[in-house]
Amino acid sequence: MDIISFICSPGVLCQVLVGLSRTVILFIVASGLSLILGVLRIPNIAHGSLYMIGAFMAFTVSKVFGGGITGYWMAVLLAPIIVAALSFIAERAIFCRLYEREHIMLFLLTFAFALIFGDLVKLVWGAEYRTVSMPRFFQGSIPIFGLPFPIYNFFLLIMGPLVAIVLWLIVNKTKMGKISRAAAVDREMVGAVGINVSLVFATVFVIGCYLAGLGGALVAPIVNVTLGMDHTLIIEAFLIVIMGGLGNIWGALLGALIFGLTQSLGILIWPQFGIIFPYAAVIVVLSFRPTGLLRSTW
Amino acid sequence: MLQVRNLHKSFGGFKAVNGANLQVADGEIVAVIGPNGAGKTTLFNLITGILSPDGGQVMFKGEDITGLPAHRTCKKGITRSFQVVNIFSRLTVFENVRIAVLSQQGKTFNLFTPSRRLVTDETASILKSVGLMKKKDSVCGALSHGDQKVLEIAIALGGKPELLILDEPTAGMSPEETARCIDLIKELRSSMGLTILFCEHDMEIVFGIANRIMVMVRGATIIQGACDEVRCNQAVQDAYLGGGDVCSV
Amino acid sequence: MGARKSIVALVIVLAILAIAPLGLPRFYTYLIALIVTTGLLSTSLNFVLGFGGIYQFHHAVFYGAGAYGAAIMIAKLGYSGWLGFVAGPLVAAALSFIIGLICVRLSKLYFGMLQISLGSLVWAIVYRWYGFTGGDDGIHGIPMPELVGSPLGAYYFALIVGGLSLLVMHRILNSPFGSTLQGIRDNAVRSQAVGVNVRRHQLAAIVIAGFFGGVAGVLFVVVDNSVFPDMMFWTLSLEITIMALLGGWLTFLGPMLGAAVIVCLRTFVSGFTDYWTLILGILLVLVILFLPEGLLGYVLEAWKRRTSESAEG
Repeated sequence: MDIISFICSPGVLCQVLVGLSRTVILFIVASGLSLILGVLRIPNIAHGSLYMIGAFMAFTVSKVFGGGITGYWMAVLLAPIIVAALSFIAERAIFCRLYEREHIMLFLLTFAFALIFGDLVKLVWGAEYRTVSMPRFFQGSIPIFGLPFPIYNFFLLIMGPLVAIVLWLIVNKTKMGKISRAAAVDREMVGAVGINVSLVFATVFVIGCYLAGLGGALVAPIVNVTLGMDHTLIIEAFLIVIMGGLGNIWGALLGALIFGLTQSLGILIWPQFGIIFPYAAVIVVLSFRPTGLLRSTW
Repeated sequence: MLQVRNLHKSFGGFKAVNGANLQVADGEIVAVIGPNGAGKTTLFNLITGILSPDGGQVMFKGEDITGLPAHRTCKKGITRSFQVVNIFSRLTVFENVRIAVLSQQGKTFNLFTPSRRLVTDETASILKSVGLMKKKDSVCGALSHGDQKVLEIAIALGGKPELLILDEPTAGMSPEETARCIDLIKELRSSMGLTILFCEHDMEIVFGIANRIMVMVRGATIIQGACDEVRCNQAVQDAYLGGGDVCSV
Repeated sequence: MGARKSIVALVIVLAILAIAPLGLPRFYTYLIALIVTTGLLSTSLNFVLGFGGIYQFHHAVFYGAGAYGAAIMIAKLGYSGWLGFVAGPLVAAALSFIIGLICVRLSKLYFGMLQISLGSLVWAIVYRWYGFTGGDDGIHGIPMPELVGSPLGAYYFALIVGGLSLLVMHRILNSPFGSTLQGIRDNAVRSQAVGVNVRRHQLAAIVIAGFFGGVAGVLFVVVDNSVFPDMMFWTLSLEITIMALLGGWLTFLGPMLGAAVIVCLRTFVSGFTDYWTLILGILLVLVILFLPEGLLGYVLEAWKRRTSESAEG
């Protein structure tokens, strides 16, 4: 059976769609990373840890509200907010003192927080993995291409573009969004016209971290929530952001799409080393467009 | 020696250089003048290869060097100083110039000889010629602004240039420092036989030492000629020298 | 002046370490050998980071490449130990050339992020290639040549090779290449304007750093007789960056000092608590906020200030 008909067969397409729906989570987290990268110009290594905290927090909130559909929605609502609050505290307490310092210091600071948050999770939740049970509302499947497709994954496929649109609206249509875009390009000028640049950075940082927490909360029902989920995620998020263009939200969507496709196809074609396909894609993209597919804010 | 023909460079929608022409002959001192934002520094960046032009041609000693990257134009014999002091801040004065000399002699891939044993004489002679020898071990951050600007020139000299481009060499200097700098420039031409291209805002300096002057307005050359020719040109008067009639004096 | 002082300090420390095993229990010789190895790794990172201003965010890949290169040569392909020891750093240098070539065209932060990504690719391949690299188990019980097979032999091997490597790196940093590299760190545009091909020099520096990272990897194989994929994981890369920062990233011996502090802390703290990572994170925050020039950097600055004050007064 030749490659094309293999790829276009319903079974494969379904699998690819499932892969894509998981990449939606990656997109949501990566969009937050891209936002912070675009405006504050730091790659936030702690992003993976915040994602993990979001997932663990979703587990706890869901339990507090008795599981089921209420538990789920409360988790999706509250967990990201708690993560955002945590990041706000970190930002105000320590980060904001360093905006004038050398770049690399800020980057290492995010690593410090990644270390601290990682162990904080171990402290609070222990070392075993948790599971968040899928609420009955989302259980089951709907037919796509004649094959059963999990409802929850379908839900994720809708959430992705939704988040993208809301984010785009915030960045391009609100006053805060416009100010942050200006600060990304010329922070001194923005400060000179009397705007508190530090506060702008804080807002952007918190929104970005909120997205990380959201990704974690959304992924909780379909994976084992474990320590170490931060480590692999941050690398994948980096890849997506690099491919898409630093600071560009649509770039993150495009990058996530390419990542999801190449990963799904890769694993289908070469199960043991399918993981290298997304990396190959990044290298190819960067050979033609060294700053990423779409225009970066740098 | 240097010929610039119809050079163009845009940034986004903004035309920074829009048809610049320049001629510099062997052993001349040529000045480029123009209002702020006329594109003088961009022109220098285009000639030396820090930026690459969108159109036009740069010929140096008969060779087309248009778009050649900065490290290659330096090896061809063109070096420059920068308008905003652009030095190796963590190193001493001596080390700053030594890097330039090492690079000019092609020694930068030497992995095993200690730097301090190499090119000491050449570096010292450059520092002596600009008058910074006494401060050779000071870290650059500690120097006065005037000394830093002179260090700029010293670093440029390290490359053993035939054409030396100076971007506002006396900007921010005190009157004594400025006088010394002008003497230095004259000395460089007379004793080292250097061709010098510079830009300045101080008209006294310009008319004092330049053989020929090129005037730039809004990225384009409006005239190049000898001092009197330029001073009496009506377009230059209107655009830059504030109207009036200097020639009647 | 500073150059000569570093050498003298280094030689004194090496001399002390040479006679140390005579009085210390075996555990401590292992620990010191580990410190020398990690210190060499951290110094090789700082070669490009502190002295070149290059954002080498995934240096551990070259450490792992050197270690795996040696391990595979010896354990899987059956070559002699000495051949393996030579092959390791060469593999690391080749890998750093390839990765450097891909990344060096990019500006600082892109360079760092892409290097993390590419390094993670190498890690992922090593992690999954069970047949060749031992997958997530790694390779253990690697046979060593007789001379370095015993703990004492391994100790002296690490000391000699580590010391030599440091001397060579020190020599290079004081050579014209080293001066040019530091010039590029301080002002890449100016370097270009004086005729330096910045990209080529940076690539050369990355290869040199990768080579010595590979040497550190080989030393680990000699000391520990094993390799595992985590040697190439990005968290290790950032840990050695912390070591360089803690010790003083603008000094030559700083990273070594930082490595010593962190390896010792990690060994002893891990005995009391499971939360070493938390402590490391807090330590890093404190260093960034209060001691950004590092321990050695701070001491040298204070000493310089005191000597200049006494010279005036």
